[in-house]
Amino acid sequence: MSDQQLKHKSHRREKRTGKVPSEASHGARGKETTGRTKDSVSTASYMDDLGHHDDNARLVVTIDNTYQLDILKDVLTSYLQEEKYESEWSQKMTKTICEVIRARVKDLMIPRYKIVVLVHIGQLTGQSMQISSRCLWDASNDTFASYSFKNSYLFGVATVFAVYFE
Amino acid sequence: MDDYQTEEEESAFVVEESVEATIGRNTYQHNRVNQWSTSVVEQCLGQLGKLGKPFKYIVNCIIMQKNGAGLQTASACFWDNSTDGSCAVRWENKSMYCIVNVFGLAI
Repeated sequence: MSDQQLKHKSHRREKRTGKVPSEASHGARGKETTGRTKDSVSTASYMDDLGHHDDNARLVVTIDNTYQLDILKDVLTSYLQEEKYESEWSQKMTKTICEVIRARVKDLMIPRYKIVVLVHIGQLTGQSMQISSRCLWDASNDTFASYSFKNSYLFGVATVFAVYFE
Repeated sequence: MDDYQTEEEESAFVVEESVEATIGRNTYQHNRVNQWSTSVVEQCLGQLGKLGKPFKYIVNCIIMQKNGAGLQTASACFWDNSTDGSCAVRWENKSMYCIVNVFGLAI
C-alpha cells in the first residue's frame, strides 16, 4: 500500500477593483513517501478600535478561523478514525459530516456571515488528485478554513468558507 | 437582487466550456495537474466575473486520476435560499475525472 503525500500551498492575493480573489489547493501523490499533512492556519489579531462596523467583522473573522479549524479537525477525526472506505457508508458519512460541521459553525453565532461547507471523502488506492479553490470576494471580510485527514484506507478533506453579507 | 437559481444553467455552461478548453484532450499527468486545476478555476472565475452579476463566487475544482478509487463529495450551506445557489459540474475523459462546484452568494 503506497503512502500519499498531501501538500498544502500557501495562498496569495491580488487586488482587482474592490473584489479580491484568493486560492487554496490540496494535492495527493501516489508514491512511497512519508505522509505529511499541513493545514491552513490563521493568526488571531487584536484591534484596538472596534467602533467601525467593518473592523468588527474583520476581527471576528480572524479569530474565528482558528475555531473553525478546531471544529473541522474534531469532526473529521472523530468520524473517520479507523474507518474503512465503503461506497454507501461514505456517501452517508460525507453528508453527515457536512451537516455536523455546518451546525457547529452556526453555533459560533457569528452575525451577518453566510457559510459554505465542502467535504470530500475518498478511497486511497495510490491514485493522484488535486483539489483547488478560488474565490471572487472581499478578502478583508471573507475567509476560509480547511483541514485534511488521512488513515490507511481513506482520506477526508473539509473546507469551510465564510462570506460576509453586506 | 438577482435570483441565482435561474442562472445556474448559465454558470454550468461557463464551467463546462472552461474545463473542456483546459484539459479536454489531455491525459492525467501529476506534474501538470496543479497548473490545470488553477487554470480551470481561474477561467471559470474570470468568465463568471464577466457576467457582471452582483454575486460573490466560490469555485472548487477536483481533478482525480482514474484508478478505480471511490470519491464522495458533499456540501452544506447556510445562506439565503431565494438569492443564493450552487451548481456542480462532473466531467471525465479516459484518464481522469474533473468535478467543479460553483457557489454564488448574492451581495
